[in-house]
Order: sequence, then structure tokens, then C-alpha cells
Amino acid sequence: MGIEKYLTAYSIALQQVLQRRASLLMDRVGGIAVIVSLYYFWKALLGQKSEFLGYSGEQMLSYVLAMNLLRAFVFTGRGWELVGDISSGRIASYLVRPISYHGYSLALDMAQKTVHLFAALLEIGVLILLVQAPVYQPAEPATWPLFAVAVLLSSLIFFFLEFTVSSMAFWTSESGGPLFCFELFLQFAAGTFFPLDVLPKSLQAALSLTPFPYMVFFPINIYLERVPLAQAAQIIGMQCLWLALFAAMSVWVWRVGLQSYSAEGG
Amino acid sequence: MGLAGGAPELFGGGRLRYFWIWARLGSMSLQSQLTYPLGSLGFFIGKLIRLFFFFAFVIAIFQHTETLAGYTLVETALFFLTFNVVDIVAQIFFRGIYSARRVVTDGDFDFYLIQPCSPLFRMVLSYLDFLDIAIIIPVLAMIGLVFARLPQGLGWERYVLYILLTANGVGIGLAIHVFVAGLAVRTQELENTIWIYRDMMFMGKFPADIYGPAARAALTFVVPIAVMTTFPAKALLGLLSPAWTLYSFALCGALMGSALWYWRDCVRHYTSSSS
Repeated sequence: MGIEKYLTAYSIALQQVLQRRASLLMDRVGGIAVIVSLYYFWKALLGQKSEFLGYSGEQMLSYVLAMNLLRAFVFTGRGWELVGDISSGRIASYLVRPISYHGYSLALDMAQKTVHLFAALLEIGVLILLVQAPVYQPAEPATWPLFAVAVLLSSLIFFFLEFTVSSMAFWTSESGGPLFCFELFLQFAAGTFFPLDVLPKSLQAALSLTPFPYMVFFPINIYLERVPLAQAAQIIGMQCLWLALFAAMSVWVWRVGLQSYSAEGG
Repeated sequence: MGLAGGAPELFGGGRLRYFWIWARLGSMSLQSQLTYPLGSLGFFIGKLIRLFFFFAFVIAIFQHTETLAGYTLVETALFFLTFNVVDIVAQIFFRGIYSARRVVTDGDFDFYLIQPCSPLFRMVLSYLDFLDIAIIIPVLAMIGLVFARLPQGLGWERYVLYILLTANGVGIGLAIHVFVAGLAVRTQELENTIWIYRDMMFMGKFPADIYGPAARAALTFVVPIAVMTTFPAKALLGLLSPAWTLYSFALCGALMGSALWYWRDCVRHYTSSSS
């Protein structure tokens, strides 16, 4: 019992996203520009080389295409809407409903992610056809489910992490700035613009102690089979730990925030 | 004076009056940004992160390779920093366009039309982004460092041409912003149009030579990001022919003329959209 209402919220949100087709299209057009740019950048760098930073040409260009996929599925979120809901007081109307705001938000989030995921797949398909991009095909069948699980966990980690940061709006009306800063840092530190192997070893080691590489860099490395299956399982285990930590943190911050929240008027 | 405003009002006899209006609007922008110190600090740090991460990325890449599409590290850095100058200057001055749709749908545009000031001026230049003014300082400092590492004896003419073509790039950016303002007036939507421009500008971070022939042609003739960001650096390096230089300036003039015509046409057909 109870799950139906979230499925209904998901269904309605899905229809709303698809209803605003022009906005969706424009969102995606912008994303394509970034991916085309990075694709050609790496292609130019590879030139006649057979490998770069330990990536074969096929792996490197597949990394760029996979980035588009993960950017669409992992980094599509409702952080700004949450900030707006809290700052404007709209959140009050959700608090009196018999739903969990976390669950409701996740349903809406997943609706957006679903649409953006399919759009990203379509874009990658078009790009592969247009520029004859080589695509890395995993040799091990087990890689596919491992990659799928890793991507799903990344998406959930991002959801709770963004939820936690956006909940700052309970204490300040200026949480937009920190959220902007957080999202930009996250994208770089996760490997959304370039593989983290580019960075100096010391910086790579420092980043591996944070949840960020587990959101894009490691999942793509699982897909590209640059990590053995055992290590892939270890990465997924670490993702589960980060997910548990941030889920607990977001629930705690939410509860504390609600205690300091007050709403007036109707 | 036509309601549409545009060139005569913007560039005609009332220039000093417009300067004072702009200064007042800039002062109001500063006050509004200082009202939200934490938010502004977050945006500022975010912009710095974006700038330095990309710059560090370019430098890190060159630890593993000698050239990118035939360009050295210093030359690639010049392309990247020139992109930043054009992009940031447009952000500093033309930030007002981001609220164009709201201005139209809230009915504020009706007030713009009855004020003794060009509505186009209000629409595009009404907000001055002081965070970007702070961001451009390190960019200019880095350009100074890149200049010092370029081969000696390039000649002052090339530096002058670089500055002119960079300004030309900002001019093309202005024309695009005017088009977007016209779209906002005509359609009351397409709020994402300016974001498409921002995302497309991402392609200007690297020299246009890295792209395939079709993409390069599109960036030169359709969405002229290469003209805005790659051409100035190429001119400084002595890689831009006089024909392409002329094309850059002619394109800016043509785009500005078309944008102003489109803007006037949009305002002429405007029937007020607020309640």
C-alpha cells in the first residue's frame, strides 16, 4: 500500500515533462553542443595515437558518449524546484498531504530522468550515425547489469546529495548560490567533462575518497571494462555505502529543517 | 522616436543620458547582488571553479601531449582565454536578457514602452553582473601571462587586430542577445533560447580547427561562435587571412542590422501580453 500514489505522481510528472516538448527539446539541444564539442576535442587529441591515458580511441570516445547518458540520467534533478518550494512556502501544501516529500520528489525526479535518458540515447544514436563514432562493446555479459546497477545507484546518490544541499533553503533564502557552486564542482569532480585520469595522481587519490567519482567516472570505467569484475563489485559496494550515508543525511537535514520552518498565510 | 527604439536612441544624441541610466541600473544591480551575500558568493565561487577546472584540465592534458590540432599549450590557452573574455564580457553587460520573458509576461515591458528610454536598451542592458566583473580580472591576468609566452616580435598590429576582433565577437554576441529579446517579445516563451546560446558557446572553448568540416562550417556561417572566439586568437597568431578578417566585421554588421530590424518588427507587432 502507498506505492500507487508515487507511481501516479511519476505518471503525471512524465506527462508534464512530455507536454513541455519545446523546453525539453531546447534542454537537449544545449546538451548536444557540449557532447559534440567534447567528442571532437578528444578525437583531435587522439589523432593518430592508438591510445591516450590508457584509453583506446574507442574507449575514450565511448567515455564521451557515456558521459552524455550519465549527465542525463544522474544529473537531472529537482534541486532548484526544492529551493523554490521551500523559499516560496509552497512546501506547506505538500506537508499536509499524506505523502512523503522524499518519495514524491523521487517520483518526479525519476519521471524527468526517464525522459532525459531516452532523449540522451536518441542523441547518442544520431551522433554515432552522423560522425561514425566508434562505440566500445563490453566483452563480458556481466558488465551490462553491473553498469546498470552502478548508474542507478549514482542517480540515487545524486538525488539525496542534491536534496541535502537544497534543504539549506530552510535556513537561508540564498541557498541558490551554494547549490550552483555545488553542482558545478560535483560535475567536474565526478568526471562529467573529462576522465579523472587526466588529473595528477595525488588529486585522483583525494577525489577517490569522496562520493563524486562514484557518480560518473567509476560507472563508465565499469562499462569500459577498465576495472576487473571484482573491483566493479567493490565500486558498487562503495556506492551503496555512500547512498546509505546521504539518504540518512538528507532525511536528518529535512527533519531538522522542518523544525525551523514556519509558514504563514494560505 | 519610434516605440521600437534601437539604433537612433541607442547611439544617437542621447548617449550621455543613456550612460547615466546605465550607471544607475548598474548601481541597482550591485545593490541587489550585495543584498544576497551568501548567494552571490556561491555563484562567484561556482564561476571560479568552472574557470579554473577547465584551465587546469587544459594544462593537465598537455602533460600527456605536445599539441592539440597542431596548437601548443600556450596557443590553446590563448583560444580558451579568448573564449572566456568574449563570453564573460557578454555576461557582464547583457545579463538583462535572462529576465526578458518575465519582463514581457509580467507586463513590465508595457512600462518600458512608455518610458523615455529605448526599450531595447532596458531589455538587454538593464543588469550589470558584478560577479563576472570580478571573474574577468583573473582571466585578463592569465591572458597577460599567455601574451608574455607568445613568440616575441608579433607586432602591435596583430595585438590591435586581436582586440578589435574580440570586440567584434562581443558585438556578434550582442546581436544574438537582441534576437533573443525579439523572440521573447514575439512569443512570450522560448525562455531557454538564451541557454541554447550559452551551451553552444561551450564549443568556443577550443579552437574551431578540432571540429569536423561540417561542424566548422556551421560554427563559421550559421552560429558564428568560431568567428567570436577562434578568429581573434588566430589573428594574433597570424593565421587569419585578410578575407576572413573582413568577413568577421561584415558578419557582425549584418547580424546587428538584422537583429535590430527583427527587434523593431517584433515590437511593432506587440499587443501586450500581461493581465
